[in-house]
Amino acid sequence: MSGRLLIRSFCYKVVQRSPYKSNVPSCNRLFISVFCNEFSTKAAKQFEEKKHCNIGTIGHVDHGKTTLTAAITKVLASDGLAHFVSYDEIDKAPEEKARGITINAAHVGYSTKLRHYAHTDCPGHADYVRNMISGASQMDAAILVVAANDGPMPQTREHLLLAKQVGIQHILVFINKADIVDNELLELVEIEMRELMSDFGYDGNTVPMICGSALKALNGDESEFGAPSIRKLLDTMDTYVPRIVRDLVSPFLMPIDNAFTVPGRGTVVVGTIKRGVMKKNDDADLMGFGYNIKTTLSDIQIFKKSVTEALAGDNVGVLLRGMKIKSVETGMLLCAAKSFTLSNHYKAKIYFLTRNEGGRKKPVFSKYSQQMFSGTWNVAARIDLDPSMHMMMPGDHGEVYLTLLQGMVMTQGQPFTIRENNVTVATGIITETLPSIDVPKGKLGKVVMKYE
Amino acid sequence: MKQMFESYSQMIFQLVRRLHFSPVCQAAESSLLAKLRKKTGYTIANCKKALEMHNNDSDKAEAWLNEQAQAMGWAKATKLAGRTALQGLVAVKFTKDHGALVELNCETDFVAKNEKFHKMIEDATIACFKFAHTNLQSKGPVTKMELDSEQLANLNVEGKKLSEVLALFIGSVGENAVLRRAECWKANSKDIKIAGYTHPAPAVPGEYSAGKYGALLAYKQSGETEDIGRQICQHIVGCAPNKIGVKEKDKPAKNSDDETCLIFQEYLLDPSYTVEEVLQQHNAEVIDYVRFSCGEIVETNMPGVEKQPLDTVQTLQ
Repeated sequence: MSGRLLIRSFCYKVVQRSPYKSNVPSCNRLFISVFCNEFSTKAAKQFEEKKHCNIGTIGHVDHGKTTLTAAITKVLASDGLAHFVSYDEIDKAPEEKARGITINAAHVGYSTKLRHYAHTDCPGHADYVRNMISGASQMDAAILVVAANDGPMPQTREHLLLAKQVGIQHILVFINKADIVDNELLELVEIEMRELMSDFGYDGNTVPMICGSALKALNGDESEFGAPSIRKLLDTMDTYVPRIVRDLVSPFLMPIDNAFTVPGRGTVVVGTIKRGVMKKNDDADLMGFGYNIKTTLSDIQIFKKSVTEALAGDNVGVLLRGMKIKSVETGMLLCAAKSFTLSNHYKAKIYFLTRNEGGRKKPVFSKYSQQMFSGTWNVAARIDLDPSMHMMMPGDHGEVYLTLLQGMVMTQGQPFTIRENNVTVATGIITETLPSIDVPKGKLGKVVMKYE
Repeated sequence: MKQMFESYSQMIFQLVRRLHFSPVCQAAESSLLAKLRKKTGYTIANCKKALEMHNNDSDKAEAWLNEQAQAMGWAKATKLAGRTALQGLVAVKFTKDHGALVELNCETDFVAKNEKFHKMIEDATIACFKFAHTNLQSKGPVTKMELDSEQLANLNVEGKKLSEVLALFIGSVGENAVLRRAECWKANSKDIKIAGYTHPAPAVPGEYSAGKYGALLAYKQSGETEDIGRQICQHIVGCAPNKIGVKEKDKPAKNSDDETCLIFQEYLLDPSYTVEEVLQQHNAEVIDYVRFSCGEIVETNMPGVEKQPLDTVQTLQ
């Protein structure tokens, strides 16, 4: 065991350090983060983190995902940080209905000393993807559970494939049932897992692996593989999964919620800054519905007080130089000059609701045109399926191309829905902005698609 | 920087020392185990047991594992039997005069994406397709055989029973899997053709494909018009009609969206025509069709008809 730990810590340090060639003396990361905390500005500290993280378990049906979840709540409950949720309660969680889409994932919440976690059990590939697209559940990180006596199974590849596809960057491996095999086997499972993770583009050498027994922990065992292994897993989650930091570095971006005229001064737009920092007298673009208007931020106000700068998360009113109220529409976007391009063509992941969920009965083909809703606006849009798909049945999910009647700004991950006859038939998220394409005479049906 | 190097070199030293002082035989064993596991893919615990039993002779251990796999597969299959398996795939294989449609279920769709699962369902489909060639007596325009899981299990593929192949598969993925049902068809006259379709459809249409939905169609088409078998199949998969419908007897539904008779439904690829009009334009006639949607049969709702031995089953029109 000790040899293994040594190798791990060694690999970890080398990998962490070598790319940066940093001249920081060899101190651990914890120290650096403490250091930063102490000396960063007050404002930055205030917006540094949302103490929340979405985590999920993936793995083979018999390897103990549910037992692990129960064990985590049990161990934390003894520290007074969570409510104990028994195996049966998780397993028999009633199917919830949220936003019209059946959610058959169990959600469990718990906190460590540092953070709050929302824990999802990932039921299946298609189930997870549609939950993700509809925004019902989401994973920032995943715990891959593998039983030590079986080792990785053929379908473990598919589990990792899902994680890769949906963009989970941080995976921890929990080697369960470690108490019923010897160290030699544990080592082999660990090596195999590291190889497999590397195959899928994760950094196999640095992925944290925790050996333990969820069942022992659940029974209140305090030996090495019992409750302490769960605590170790939680500690690793706290340190390995980085904090979600509000993005203050990117160019600023603010969707317009409202606009009005202040007599004698000009047009004021109101909204919440999604990311970045807004400074007085910055150049900005107001975009949406086919328009791209250049302007300057003459004044920024937070709660009726004039400020020189505003950060992501602030609700602000912004006075725009030389802007006419007629040109501003709810749903437009105010962003740093030249940081975005207006486009009417996007790539997206979409899920068509089944008939039971209130969706269509018949399949969908390319050239499907309906009204698309996102944020505070809606616009006519046409959906073209990926050329590899003939048609999409209700209940299917896949990649599609969207063509909007008017150019709009949408960011990666922005959710939208498609409605037909006042019924939601599909929901999706934007994955990529493509160059604008021509809509002849404002008729979406006449658009000629050019696939990459 | 110097400090760093020093600490690293010390660590390397410790590492090397640690490696050298650990029992050499154990290292050898564990690499043998790793090799055996990589080669065979059986669970780690079983590989270890095999090596222990055969004094680390990896050839003997492998032979023993292969021998045991069938028994272990059966054990696992028996243990897991009864667990709900509603995910999986529907596969179709057809030529002009024969067709087979098979549904294989498993517990999670992760398994359904795995190569081993694809191999398993392809084997089963080929077995059914062969069965359609050999055992069917000629009666009526199309000979149809409905097989349930027990009958399917008795089919042979490469000298092995399908149930044995399935048990091996269950042993390897550790999840319940069920050969749910199958249809084997044979056209009994020259002018009847058979077509198949699965959704999602493969980029290049071929004789074999697998997906979440599948359909098999028997139809007559004369004249020089374009073959529409595949398109009608696609329509059946997409619009899920309940029956073909007879023009004189059945009446079209008021709301075209709720139409369940194939001939009155709006044609999927061109809603301005009904299927009947399309069939007329192409001088075609639908003899029969069957549509599978993966997981639509819940285990408790399985048809409770008494099981007959395979060679006596004759489900005719």
